Amino acid sequence: MKLAVVVQRYGADINGGAELHARYVAEHLAKHHDVEVLTTCARDYVTWANEAPAGVEEIHGVRVRRFPVAHERDVRVFARRQEAVFDRAHSVGDELAWLDAEGPTSPALRRFIRDERGTFDVFIFFSYRYWHAFHGLRAVHDRSVLVPTAERDPAIGLSIFPPLFRAARAIMFNSFEERAMIRHVAGTADLPGKVVGIGSEIPERPNPDRFRQEFGITERFAVYVGRIDRNKGCGELFDHFGWYARSMPGDLHLVLVGKSILPIPDHPRIHHLGFLTDRQKFDAIAAADLLIMPSYYESLSMVALEAWALGRPVLANGRCDVLKGQAIRSNAGLYYESYAEFAEALYAIASSHSLKHALGQNGRAYFKRHYAWPVIERKYLETLDRIARDGVSGARTLDPLPGFFARRRGSVPPAADVLATVPAGPSLS
Amino acid sequence: MTDFNVRSDSVDVEQIMRQIRERIRQKRGVDYTEEQIRELADAKLERFLDPSGVRSGLLEAFRRRPATPGYDFEDTALVDSDKAIVRFVRRLLSPFLKLLINSNRLISVLHMQAAINREQEERHVLYYEVIHNLVLEMTRVSIESRNLKMRLESLQGRLEFNERRARALEAVVQYKRGGHGPGEDEELASTEPQGGVDPITGGESLRTRRRRRRRGRRPQGQAEGSMAGDDASGDADGVENGRDESLQHEAGHAGSSERQTARDTHHQSAGTSSGHHEGGPDTPDPEAQ
Repeated sequence: MKLAVVVQRYGADINGGAELHARYVAEHLAKHHDVEVLTTCARDYVTWANEAPAGVEEIHGVRVRRFPVAHERDVRVFARRQEAVFDRAHSVGDELAWLDAEGPTSPALRRFIRDERGTFDVFIFFSYRYWHAFHGLRAVHDRSVLVPTAERDPAIGLSIFPPLFRAARAIMFNSFEERAMIRHVAGTADLPGKVVGIGSEIPERPNPDRFRQEFGITERFAVYVGRIDRNKGCGELFDHFGWYARSMPGDLHLVLVGKSILPIPDHPRIHHLGFLTDRQKFDAIAAADLLIMPSYYESLSMVALEAWALGRPVLANGRCDVLKGQAIRSNAGLYYESYAEFAEALYAIASSHSLKHALGQNGRAYFKRHYAWPVIERKYLETLDRIARDGVSGARTLDPLPGFFARRRGSVPPAADVLATVPAGPSLS
Repeated sequence: MTDFNVRSDSVDVEQIMRQIRERIRQKRGVDYTEEQIRELADAKLERFLDPSGVRSGLLEAFRRRPATPGYDFEDTALVDSDKAIVRFVRRLLSPFLKLLINSNRLISVLHMQAAINREQEERHVLYYEVIHNLVLEMTRVSIESRNLKMRLESLQGRLEFNERRARALEAVVQYKRGGHGPGEDEELASTEPQGGVDPITGGESLRTRRRRRRRGRRPQGQAEGSMAGDDASGDADGVENGRDESLQHEAGHAGSSERQTARDTHHQSAGTSSGHHEGGPDTPDPEAQ
């Protein structure tokens, strides 16, 4: 089969969640099928500025075709349009304008998809909320697979997306919670697809001692890996850990790995190491007592899966349905919804070797059972085989966009209101 | 804090979280849910807050304020009517009206006023929310403060007890470290609790035991003579022995009570030292130190 992986950004050094997810999927499917990546020239997900040259190149053995972005994102326009569709009654036209402002707007990419639709058997689109996925999938919905990477944010409540979910030949969900949410907004449980998630390139033997030597950290510590951002719950993490260090026994430290866009508190037990290579990152996780995942919104936390793969327990933010659901399903992590729970759960893991070990063992088994690459590949290959077997007869109906006048009718409810109707909580049944 | 001792196949994260929440409840004493806090904020503020400072019915009063009139004002409002014919005539004559007065200006101003009123209304809702949240937070803080006050009192009590105990212990340490030269006997007399009862243990003091050993080594007659001589010289031993007997009885009680609870130790050490006051002016009083 000839497959196209369509994603907003692509590169060996681009480590955004969905982009890394797309790269891993492309590289692993390339072992079984002919894969080509269709992406933009953008490298920055805020501006979408054209930084990489348009054209074809090869990354890790996969052919990558880049298309220019027509216009960069104007942050002020985007914010205004986002407010209009998230918080106020609006029209479908407003939502399309919001999508255009969000980007990455690349008519050349859409034109290529439309013109070359016969060249590819299946198009795999990543990230439902971006311009390329919306317009690309609408162009080739009868041979499309969608990896939505949806989080519980108001964008899921926009009216332009449910037809997209219903039209895709298959949806590869990251979690049960994501599936429940998308089923709810799509208004149907009849969405073909699987809960797949993503694997990770876990090194055979990470070296915790090497990490301790390299960074001079001799104490026991909990690690956070990811962008250090208020939106990721890091502000709350700093507050909680500050109180924990003052009020709870023990000398647990907190090590932060990742680029910071939030001031790091000056605390003797909080260490910021900045961006680390993959090898250093895995060494750090292996050296840690546990991983803390304070994010409120995640469609799937790859770093939590990596911690589990290395046998480390995870302390997750319980207000994130996906993380809480994963912690419960795997029996490999605890969660918190308040400072008291944070302190007790952190202390329980840090002070009890048997609990830490048991959670770690469960995490390792959970990762192996659900997120090892052979499992992920098998799920993708089964889905692709089914699409090939069904042929055009398996195509689903795509609702057309409203007409000129209907598109301007301001009767669409605010996306935040729609999101509020989506059932919350982990999906355990 | 109890330790979790589990095997990987028996881990149930939900069960552990229930245990953790239970532990938090035990620590807090009372665990108020969000609903309970809201209920408290709505109905029982006077129990926690200064009623003169914040009215407990504040939110209720805010809620009960009269409904605001509709502020909608459209461009057609000036010529609108329930009756179609009137509406028609007004619309027909509206160009004539515009010749006489600048109705556009009027409409524009009224439109602006409607927008301002709407904004005010939205702001009222925000005020309501802010006040509501403030009252919630105040309730939460006052509960927290009450709990902390109780804890502080408890800590203060324990601290005072520990201080007294430390003073009493210091007295014993000085006694044990003391030399045996003649010049140091006075110092000993001033530091050792007389009457032979240890203020901490409630048992016999070293001095009492030493004196008894000395008596045991002497022959009976010598001992009596010595005692008589001692009596003649000042009757000190007789007084002390008599006191020893009575205090040993007390010390038995004191010792058993001491072993019962730490608080009792404090009580006994103070009580024992008050008994020693009769023995001499230099007898130390742990309370006084």
